[in-house]
Amino acid sequence: MNWISNLFSRYWRNVHLGTVVLLSILLIIGIPAINKFVSEVAVGIFYYPFFKVESSIVELVDVRNESRELRQMLVESSVKISALEEQMRENERLRAVLGFDPPPGYDLVPAKVISVSSDKVPISAVINKGSQDSVRVNQAVINEDGLIGRIVEVMPDFSTVQLLTDPANRVAVRVTESRDMGIAKYGISEGMYLDNFPIQGRVEPGNTVISSGLGGVYPGGLKVGTVRSVKRPEDAPFCDVKLDPTANFYSLDELFVLRSQPR
Amino acid sequence: MKVIAYILYLFLIGLYQVIFRDITGIYGASINLAAFIVLAVAIYKSELAAAWFGFAAGVVLAAGNPPLMGWQALALALLGVFAYNVKERLNLESLYAKILLIFGGVLLHNVVTLLIDGGDAFLYRLVSESLTGAVYTSALAIVFFLFKEEVVTPAKVKSVF
Repeated sequence: MNWISNLFSRYWRNVHLGTVVLLSILLIIGIPAINKFVSEVAVGIFYYPFFKVESSIVELVDVRNESRELRQMLVESSVKISALEEQMRENERLRAVLGFDPPPGYDLVPAKVISVSSDKVPISAVINKGSQDSVRVNQAVINEDGLIGRIVEVMPDFSTVQLLTDPANRVAVRVTESRDMGIAKYGISEGMYLDNFPIQGRVEPGNTVISSGLGGVYPGGLKVGTVRSVKRPEDAPFCDVKLDPTANFYSLDELFVLRSQPR
Repeated sequence: MKVIAYILYLFLIGLYQVIFRDITGIYGASINLAAFIVLAVAIYKSELAAAWFGFAAGVVLAAGNPPLMGWQALALALLGVFAYNVKERLNLESLYAKILLIFGGVLLHNVVTLLIDGGDAFLYRLVSESLTGAVYTSALAIVFFLFKEEVVTPAKVKSVF
Protein backbone atom coordinates (compact mmCIF):
# COMPACT_ATOMS: atom_id res chain seq x y z
CA MET A 1 0.00 0.00 0.00
CA ASN A 2 2.96 2.28 0.66
CA TRP A 3 4.05 2.24 -2.95
CA ILE A 4 0.60 3.37 -4.00
CA SER A 5 0.82 6.29 -1.57
CA ASN A 6 4.28 7.20 -2.89
CA LEU A 7 3.10 7.00 -6.48
CA PHE A 8 0.10 9.16 -5.73
CA SER A 9 2.14 11.81 -3.92
CA ARG A 10 4.71 11.87 -6.72
CA TYR A 11 2.06 12.57 -9.31
CA TRP A 12 -0.18 14.61 -6.99
CA ARG A 13 0.19 17.80 -9.08
CA ASN A 14 -0.41 16.01 -12.35
CA VAL A 15 -3.49 14.28 -10.94
CA HIS A 16 -4.99 17.62 -9.96
CA LEU A 17 -4.16 19.30 -13.25
CA GLY A 18 -5.41 16.27 -15.15
CA THR A 19 -8.67 16.33 -13.19
CA VAL A 20 -9.17 20.01 -13.96
CA VAL A 21 -8.51 19.49 -17.66
CA LEU A 22 -10.68 16.37 -17.70
CA LEU A 23 -13.60 18.17 -16.04
CA SER A 24 -13.24 21.04 -18.47
CA ILE A 25 -13.26 18.67 -21.43
CA LEU A 26 -16.29 16.93 -19.95
CA LEU A 27 -18.06 20.26 -19.84
CA ILE A 28 -16.98 21.00 -23.42
CA ILE A 29 -18.15 17.74 -24.92
CA GLY A 30 -20.44 16.77 -22.08
CA ILE A 31 -24.14 16.04 -21.84
CA PRO A 32 -26.24 19.21 -22.29
CA ALA A 33 -28.34 18.30 -19.25
CA ILE A 34 -25.27 18.28 -17.00
CA ASN A 35 -24.04 21.58 -18.46
CA LYS A 36 -27.49 23.05 -17.89
CA PHE A 37 -27.55 21.80 -14.31
CA VAL A 38 -24.07 23.21 -13.56
CA SER A 39 -25.04 26.47 -15.24
CA GLU A 40 -28.27 26.77 -13.20
CA VAL A 41 -26.44 26.04 -9.95
CA ALA A 42 -23.72 28.60 -10.73
CA VAL A 43 -26.23 31.24 -11.79
CA GLY A 44 -28.46 30.52 -8.78
CA ILE A 45 -25.59 30.85 -6.29
CA PHE A 46 -23.29 33.49 -7.76
CA TYR A 47 -25.56 35.62 -9.96
CA TYR A 48 -29.12 35.43 -8.66
CA PRO A 49 -28.57 37.47 -5.43
CA PHE A 50 -27.03 40.26 -7.46
CA PHE A 51 -29.76 40.05 -10.10
CA LYS A 52 -32.22 40.60 -7.25
CA VAL A 53 -30.24 43.57 -5.97
CA GLU A 54 -29.95 45.02 -9.48
CA SER A 55 -33.65 44.56 -10.23
CA SER A 56 -34.52 46.17 -6.88
CA ILE A 57 -32.31 49.14 -7.71
CA VAL A 58 -33.84 49.43 -11.19
CA GLU A 59 -37.32 49.17 -9.67
CA LEU A 60 -36.42 51.84 -7.12
CA VAL A 61 -35.15 54.15 -9.85
CA ASP A 62 -38.31 53.48 -11.90
CA VAL A 63 -40.50 54.25 -8.89
CA ARG A 64 -38.55 57.45 -8.26
CA ASN A 65 -38.90 58.54 -11.89
CA GLU A 66 -42.58 57.62 -11.87
CA SER A 67 -43.06 59.57 -8.64
CA ARG A 68 -41.34 62.58 -10.20
CA GLU A 69 -43.57 62.37 -13.29
CA LEU A 70 -46.67 62.00 -11.12
CA ARG A 71 -45.70 65.02 -9.05
CA GLN A 72 -45.21 67.03 -12.24
CA MET A 73 -48.59 65.84 -13.53
CA LEU A 74 -50.14 66.77 -10.19
CA VAL A 75 -48.76 70.29 -10.42
CA GLU A 76 -49.94 70.60 -14.03
CA SER A 77 -53.36 69.30 -13.04
CA SER A 78 -53.55 71.75 -10.15
CA VAL A 79 -52.75 74.59 -12.52
CA LYS A 80 -55.39 73.36 -14.97
CA ILE A 81 -57.95 73.01 -12.17
CA SER A 82 -57.17 76.54 -10.97
CA ALA A 83 -57.60 77.85 -14.53
CA LEU A 84 -60.87 75.94 -14.91
CA GLU A 85 -62.15 77.22 -11.58
CA GLU A 86 -61.28 80.75 -12.63
CA GLN A 87 -63.09 80.23 -15.93
CA MET A 88 -66.06 78.80 -14.01
CA ARG A 89 -66.20 81.89 -11.78
CA GLU A 90 -65.88 84.15 -14.81
CA ASN A 91 -68.64 82.17 -16.49
CA GLU A 92 -70.90 82.68 -13.43
CA ARG A 93 -70.17 86.40 -13.39
CA LEU A 94 -70.86 86.75 -17.09
CA ARG A 95 -74.08 84.75 -16.74
CA ALA A 96 -75.16 87.18 -14.00
CA VAL A 97 -74.27 90.09 -16.25
CA LEU A 98 -76.37 88.67 -19.08
CA GLY A 99 -79.51 89.40 -17.11
CA PHE A 100 -78.36 92.91 -16.38
CA ASP A 101 -80.00 95.81 -18.28
CA PRO A 102 -78.38 99.24 -18.45
CA PRO A 103 -80.44 102.28 -17.41
CA PRO A 104 -82.56 103.75 -20.23
CA GLY A 105 -80.52 105.91 -22.61
CA TYR A 106 -77.21 104.19 -21.86
CA ASP A 107 -75.03 101.54 -23.52
CA LEU A 108 -72.77 99.13 -21.68
CA VAL A 109 -69.08 99.11 -22.64
CA PRO A 110 -67.57 95.96 -21.14
CA ALA A 111 -64.10 96.44 -19.73
CA LYS A 112 -61.51 94.39 -17.89
CA VAL A 113 -59.71 95.66 -14.82
CA ILE A 114 -55.96 95.86 -15.48
CA SER A 115 -54.81 97.14 -12.11
CA VAL A 116 -56.13 98.50 -8.83
CA SER A 117 -54.55 101.20 -6.66
CA SER A 118 -55.10 100.93 -2.94
CA ASP A 119 -54.66 102.96 0.20
CA LYS A 120 -55.88 100.47 2.83
CA VAL A 121 -58.87 100.01 0.53
CA PRO A 122 -58.98 100.03 -3.29
CA ILE A 123 -59.54 103.62 -4.40
CA SER A 124 -58.99 103.52 -8.15
CA ALA A 125 -58.79 101.02 -10.96
CA VAL A 126 -57.43 101.01 -14.49
CA ILE A 127 -59.58 99.41 -17.16
CA ASN A 128 -58.66 98.30 -20.68
CA LYS A 129 -61.05 100.62 -22.52
CA GLY A 130 -60.27 104.22 -23.45
CA SER A 131 -61.20 107.03 -25.79
CA GLN A 132 -61.00 104.65 -28.79
CA ASP A 133 -64.03 102.91 -27.28
CA SER A 134 -65.88 106.20 -26.72
CA VAL A 135 -65.09 106.23 -23.03
CA ARG A 136 -65.21 109.77 -21.62
CA VAL A 137 -64.49 111.44 -18.30
CA ASN A 138 -67.32 111.34 -15.73
CA GLN A 139 -69.03 108.32 -17.26
CA ALA A 140 -70.36 105.97 -14.54
CA VAL A 141 -68.84 102.53 -14.11
CA ILE A 142 -70.90 99.64 -12.81
CA ASN A 143 -70.83 95.87 -12.51
CA GLU A 144 -73.58 93.32 -11.94
CA ASP A 145 -73.73 94.23 -8.21
CA GLY A 146 -74.20 97.96 -8.65
CA LEU A 147 -72.36 101.26 -8.91
CA ILE A 148 -68.53 101.09 -8.86
CA GLY A 149 -67.38 104.65 -9.58
CA ARG A 150 -66.72 107.04 -12.41
CA ILE A 151 -64.15 107.64 -15.11
CA VAL A 152 -61.67 110.35 -14.09
CA GLU A 153 -58.95 109.95 -16.71
CA VAL A 154 -59.07 108.65 -20.27
CA MET A 155 -56.24 107.51 -22.52
CA PRO A 156 -56.67 105.99 -25.99
CA ASP A 157 -56.43 102.39 -24.79
CA PHE A 158 -57.26 102.57 -21.08
CA SER A 159 -59.00 104.68 -18.47
CA THR A 160 -58.84 105.30 -14.75
CA VAL A 161 -61.91 104.72 -12.60
CA GLN A 162 -62.36 106.58 -9.32
CA LEU A 163 -64.05 104.03 -7.08
CA LEU A 164 -66.80 104.83 -4.56
CA THR A 165 -64.30 103.84 -1.87
CA ASP A 166 -62.17 106.89 -2.68
CA PRO A 167 -62.93 109.39 0.15
CA ALA A 168 -62.87 112.18 -2.45
CA ASN A 169 -65.77 110.58 -4.32
CA ARG A 170 -69.41 111.18 -3.40
CA VAL A 171 -72.73 110.07 -4.84
CA ALA A 172 -76.16 111.65 -4.58
CA VAL A 173 -78.39 108.80 -3.37
CA ARG A 174 -81.93 108.01 -2.44
CA VAL A 175 -83.35 105.50 0.05
CA THR A 176 -85.47 103.23 -2.11
CA GLU A 177 -88.17 102.60 0.49
CA SER A 178 -88.70 106.23 1.63
CA ARG A 179 -87.34 108.14 -1.41
CA ASP A 180 -85.42 110.36 1.05
CA MET A 181 -82.15 111.64 -0.38
CA GLY A 182 -78.62 111.99 0.91
CA ILE A 183 -74.97 111.89 -0.05
CA ALA A 184 -73.10 108.58 0.11
CA LYS A 185 -69.42 108.88 1.01
CA TYR A 186 -66.63 106.55 2.04
CA GLY A 187 -64.31 107.07 4.96
CA ILE A 188 -61.23 104.91 5.37
CA SER A 189 -62.02 104.22 9.05
CA GLU A 190 -65.83 104.33 9.12
CA GLY A 191 -66.59 102.72 5.74
CA MET A 192 -69.49 103.86 3.56
CA TYR A 193 -72.05 106.16 5.15
CA LEU A 194 -74.76 108.70 4.39
CA ASP A 195 -73.46 112.19 4.92
CA ASN A 196 -75.71 114.86 6.40
CA PHE A 197 -78.81 112.69 6.37
CA PRO A 198 -81.49 114.66 8.36
CA ILE A 199 -82.52 113.34 11.77
CA GLN A 200 -86.15 113.18 10.70
CA GLY A 201 -85.27 111.24 7.52
CA ARG A 202 -86.96 107.88 7.08
CA VAL A 203 -84.33 105.19 6.92
CA GLU A 204 -84.11 101.75 8.53
CA PRO A 205 -81.45 99.06 8.57
CA GLY A 206 -81.90 96.83 5.52
CA ASN A 207 -83.12 99.63 3.28
CA THR A 208 -81.56 99.82 -0.17
CA VAL A 209 -79.73 102.95 -1.26
CA ILE A 210 -79.58 103.82 -4.96
CA SER A 211 -78.15 106.68 -6.97
CA SER A 212 -80.62 109.52 -7.28
CA GLY A 213 -79.45 110.80 -10.67
CA LEU A 214 -78.91 114.28 -9.31
CA GLY A 215 -75.56 115.89 -9.98
CA GLY A 216 -75.38 114.79 -13.59
CA VAL A 217 -72.60 112.21 -13.22
CA TYR A 218 -74.33 109.03 -12.11
CA PRO A 219 -77.61 107.94 -13.68
CA GLY A 220 -80.45 107.31 -11.23
CA GLY A 221 -81.47 103.86 -10.01
CA LEU A 222 -78.01 102.25 -9.65
CA LYS A 223 -77.56 100.23 -6.46
CA VAL A 224 -75.03 101.78 -4.11
CA GLY A 225 -75.49 99.97 -0.84
CA THR A 226 -77.66 98.59 1.92
CA VAL A 227 -78.30 100.37 5.23
CA ARG A 228 -76.37 98.50 7.93
CA SER A 229 -77.15 100.67 10.96
CA VAL A 230 -78.96 103.88 11.84
CA LYS A 231 -78.16 105.99 14.91
CA ARG A 232 -80.12 109.08 15.84
CA PRO A 233 -78.14 111.02 18.46
CA GLU A 234 -80.17 113.39 20.63
CA ASP A 235 -79.72 117.11 19.99
CA ALA A 236 -78.00 116.39 16.65
CA PRO A 237 -79.38 117.57 13.31
CA PHE A 238 -78.18 114.51 11.32
CA CYS A 239 -78.47 110.72 11.55
CA ASP A 240 -75.49 108.45 11.61
CA VAL A 241 -76.32 106.02 8.79
CA LYS A 242 -73.77 103.30 7.93
CA LEU A 243 -73.97 101.47 4.59
CA ASP A 244 -72.70 98.19 3.23
CA PRO A 245 -71.60 98.77 -0.38
CA THR A 246 -73.42 96.53 -2.80
CA ALA A 247 -70.29 95.91 -4.87
CA ASN A 248 -67.23 94.12 -3.57
CA PHE A 249 -64.37 96.51 -4.28
CA TYR A 250 -61.78 93.86 -3.35
CA SER A 251 -62.65 91.55 -6.22
CA LEU A 252 -63.14 93.79 -9.22
CA ASP A 253 -62.80 92.00 -12.53
CA GLU A 254 -65.25 92.73 -15.33
CA LEU A 255 -66.77 96.21 -15.29
CA PHE A 256 -69.11 98.14 -17.57
CA VAL A 257 -68.83 101.76 -18.54
CA LEU A 258 -72.22 103.44 -18.95
CA ARG A 259 -71.98 105.26 -22.25
CA SER A 260 -74.87 107.60 -22.99
CA GLN A 261 -76.60 106.82 -26.29
CA PRO A 262 -76.48 109.56 -28.90
CA ARG A 263 -79.77 111.42 -29.15
CA MET B 1 -11.05 29.33 5.57
CA LYS B 2 -9.07 29.23 2.33
CA VAL B 3 -12.05 27.82 0.45
CA ILE B 4 -14.29 30.58 1.83
CA ALA B 5 -11.91 33.21 0.43
CA TYR B 6 -12.09 31.61 -3.02
CA ILE B 7 -15.87 31.40 -2.82
CA LEU B 8 -15.94 35.11 -1.96
CA TYR B 9 -13.80 35.75 -5.06
CA LEU B 10 -16.40 33.89 -7.10
CA PHE B 11 -19.16 36.03 -5.57
CA LEU B 12 -17.07 39.08 -6.46
CA ILE B 13 -16.98 37.89 -10.08
CA GLY B 14 -20.78 37.43 -10.01
CA LEU B 15 -21.30 40.87 -8.49
CA TYR B 16 -19.05 42.48 -11.07
CA GLN B 17 -20.62 40.67 -14.02
CA VAL B 18 -24.17 41.57 -12.96
CA ILE B 19 -23.86 45.10 -11.63
CA PHE B 20 -20.51 46.77 -12.27
CA ARG B 21 -19.41 45.46 -15.67
CA ASP B 22 -21.68 47.77 -17.65
CA ILE B 23 -21.24 50.70 -15.28
CA THR B 24 -17.44 50.61 -15.40
CA GLY B 25 -17.20 49.89 -19.15
CA ILE B 26 -15.56 52.59 -21.28
CA TYR B 27 -16.30 52.52 -25.03
CA GLY B 28 -16.54 48.73 -25.17
CA ALA B 29 -13.48 48.13 -22.95
CA SER B 30 -14.22 46.48 -19.65
CA ILE B 31 -12.23 45.07 -16.77
CA ASN B 32 -11.66 41.31 -17.02
CA LEU B 33 -12.06 40.73 -13.32
CA ALA B 34 -12.21 36.92 -13.54
CA ALA B 35 -8.86 36.70 -15.38
CA PHE B 36 -7.34 39.29 -13.04
CA ILE B 37 -8.32 37.36 -9.89
CA VAL B 38 -7.09 34.07 -11.39
CA LEU B 39 -3.75 35.71 -12.23
CA ALA B 40 -3.55 37.26 -8.75
CA VAL B 41 -4.18 33.83 -7.22
CA ALA B 42 -1.45 32.39 -9.48
CA ILE B 43 0.98 35.10 -8.36
CA TYR B 44 0.31 34.87 -4.62
CA LYS B 45 -0.93 31.28 -4.14
CA SER B 46 -0.06 27.83 -5.39
CA GLU B 47 -0.28 26.32 -8.84
CA LEU B 48 -3.07 23.93 -7.87
CA ALA B 49 -5.07 26.73 -6.24
CA ALA B 50 -4.73 28.75 -9.44
CA ALA B 51 -5.79 25.78 -11.56
CA TRP B 52 -8.85 24.88 -9.48
CA PHE B 53 -9.89 28.47 -8.94
CA GLY B 54 -9.43 29.16 -12.66
CA PHE B 55 -11.71 26.22 -13.41
CA ALA B 56 -14.38 27.46 -10.98
CA ALA B 57 -14.06 31.05 -12.18
CA GLY B 58 -14.52 29.88 -15.78
CA VAL B 59 -17.68 28.00 -14.84
CA VAL B 60 -19.08 31.05 -13.01
CA LEU B 61 -18.01 33.44 -15.76
CA ALA B 62 -19.75 31.45 -18.51
CA ALA B 63 -22.66 30.24 -16.35
CA GLY B 64 -25.11 32.15 -18.50
CA ASN B 65 -23.88 30.39 -21.63
CA PRO B 66 -23.60 26.62 -20.90
CA PRO B 67 -21.98 25.58 -24.25
CA LEU B 68 -19.01 27.86 -23.53
CA MET B 69 -18.69 26.95 -19.86
CA GLY B 70 -16.13 24.17 -20.45
CA TRP B 71 -14.02 26.31 -22.74
CA GLN B 72 -13.92 29.18 -20.25
CA ALA B 73 -13.13 26.77 -17.39
CA LEU B 74 -10.27 25.24 -19.37
CA ALA B 75 -8.98 28.64 -20.53
CA LEU B 76 -8.90 30.17 -17.06
CA ALA B 77 -7.49 27.03 -15.42
CA LEU B 78 -4.66 26.87 -17.97
CA LEU B 79 -4.15 30.63 -17.61
CA GLY B 80 -3.68 30.17 -13.86
CA VAL B 81 -1.19 27.33 -14.35
CA PHE B 82 0.61 29.24 -17.09
CA ALA B 83 0.89 32.43 -15.00
CA TYR B 84 2.12 30.49 -11.96
CA ASN B 85 4.83 28.76 -13.96
CA VAL B 86 5.92 31.97 -15.70
CA LYS B 87 6.23 33.66 -12.33
CA GLU B 88 8.12 30.74 -10.80
CA ARG B 89 10.47 30.02 -13.68
CA LEU B 90 11.29 33.65 -14.49
CA ASN B 91 11.34 34.55 -10.80
CA LEU B 92 9.15 37.60 -11.33
CA GLU B 93 9.03 39.54 -8.08
CA SER B 94 9.12 43.15 -9.16
CA LEU B 95 5.94 45.22 -9.40
CA TYR B 96 6.47 45.91 -13.12
CA ALA B 97 6.90 42.23 -13.89
CA LYS B 98 3.68 41.39 -12.10
CA ILE B 99 1.79 44.12 -13.93
CA LEU B 100 3.25 42.90 -17.23
CA LEU B 101 2.18 39.38 -16.34
CA ILE B 102 -1.34 40.61 -15.58
CA PHE B 103 -1.46 42.55 -18.85
CA GLY B 104 -0.23 39.58 -20.89
CA GLY B 105 -2.49 37.12 -19.09
CA VAL B 106 -5.62 39.26 -19.44
CA LEU B 107 -4.85 39.97 -23.09
CA LEU B 108 -4.36 36.25 -23.70
CA HIS B 109 -7.68 35.45 -22.01
CA ASN B 110 -9.47 38.19 -23.91
CA VAL B 111 -8.13 36.85 -27.20
CA VAL B 112 -9.10 33.29 -26.28
CA THR B 113 -12.57 34.51 -25.30
CA LEU B 114 -12.86 36.24 -28.68
CA LEU B 115 -11.89 33.00 -30.40
CA ILE B 116 -14.34 30.98 -28.31
CA ASP B 117 -17.18 33.44 -28.94
CA GLY B 118 -16.47 33.55 -32.68
CA GLY B 119 -18.30 36.24 -34.58
CA ASP B 120 -17.20 38.83 -37.10
CA ALA B 121 -14.71 41.69 -37.02
CA PHE B 122 -12.07 39.76 -35.08
CA LEU B 123 -9.30 42.29 -35.64
CA TYR B 124 -11.52 45.23 -34.78
CA ARG B 125 -12.69 43.60 -31.57
CA LEU B 126 -9.15 42.55 -30.77
CA VAL B 127 -8.13 46.19 -30.69
CA SER B 128 -11.33 47.81 -29.39
CA GLU B 129 -12.18 45.23 -26.72
CA SER B 130 -9.33 42.82 -25.97
CA LEU B 131 -6.38 45.19 -26.02
CA THR B 132 -8.17 48.10 -24.37
CA GLY B 133 -9.73 45.74 -21.85
CA ALA B 134 -6.26 44.42 -20.98
CA VAL B 135 -4.95 47.97 -20.52
CA TYR B 136 -7.97 48.85 -18.37
CA THR B 137 -7.51 45.73 -16.22
CA SER B 138 -3.80 46.47 -15.90
CA ALA B 139 -4.65 49.94 -14.58
CA LEU B 140 -6.76 48.27 -11.89
CA ALA B 141 -3.90 45.83 -11.27
CA ILE B 142 -1.47 48.72 -10.70
CA VAL B 143 -3.73 50.13 -7.98
CA PHE B 144 -4.16 46.66 -6.48
CA PHE B 145 -0.42 45.91 -6.40
CA LEU B 146 0.45 49.34 -5.02
CA PHE B 147 -1.68 48.56 -1.99
CA LYS B 148 -0.87 44.85 -1.86
CA GLU B 149 2.91 45.43 -1.98
CA GLU B 150 2.45 48.30 0.50
CA VAL B 151 4.00 50.84 -1.87
CA VAL B 152 0.94 52.90 -0.97
CA THR B 153 -0.55 52.51 2.49
CA PRO B 154 -3.36 54.38 4.26
CA ALA B 155 -0.74 55.91 6.56
CA LYS B 156 1.28 57.21 3.60
CA VAL B 157 -1.86 58.60 1.98
CA LYS B 158 -2.74 60.33 5.25
CA SER B 159 0.72 61.82 5.54
CA VAL B 160 0.30 63.50 2.14
CA PHE B 161 -2.68 65.41 3.46
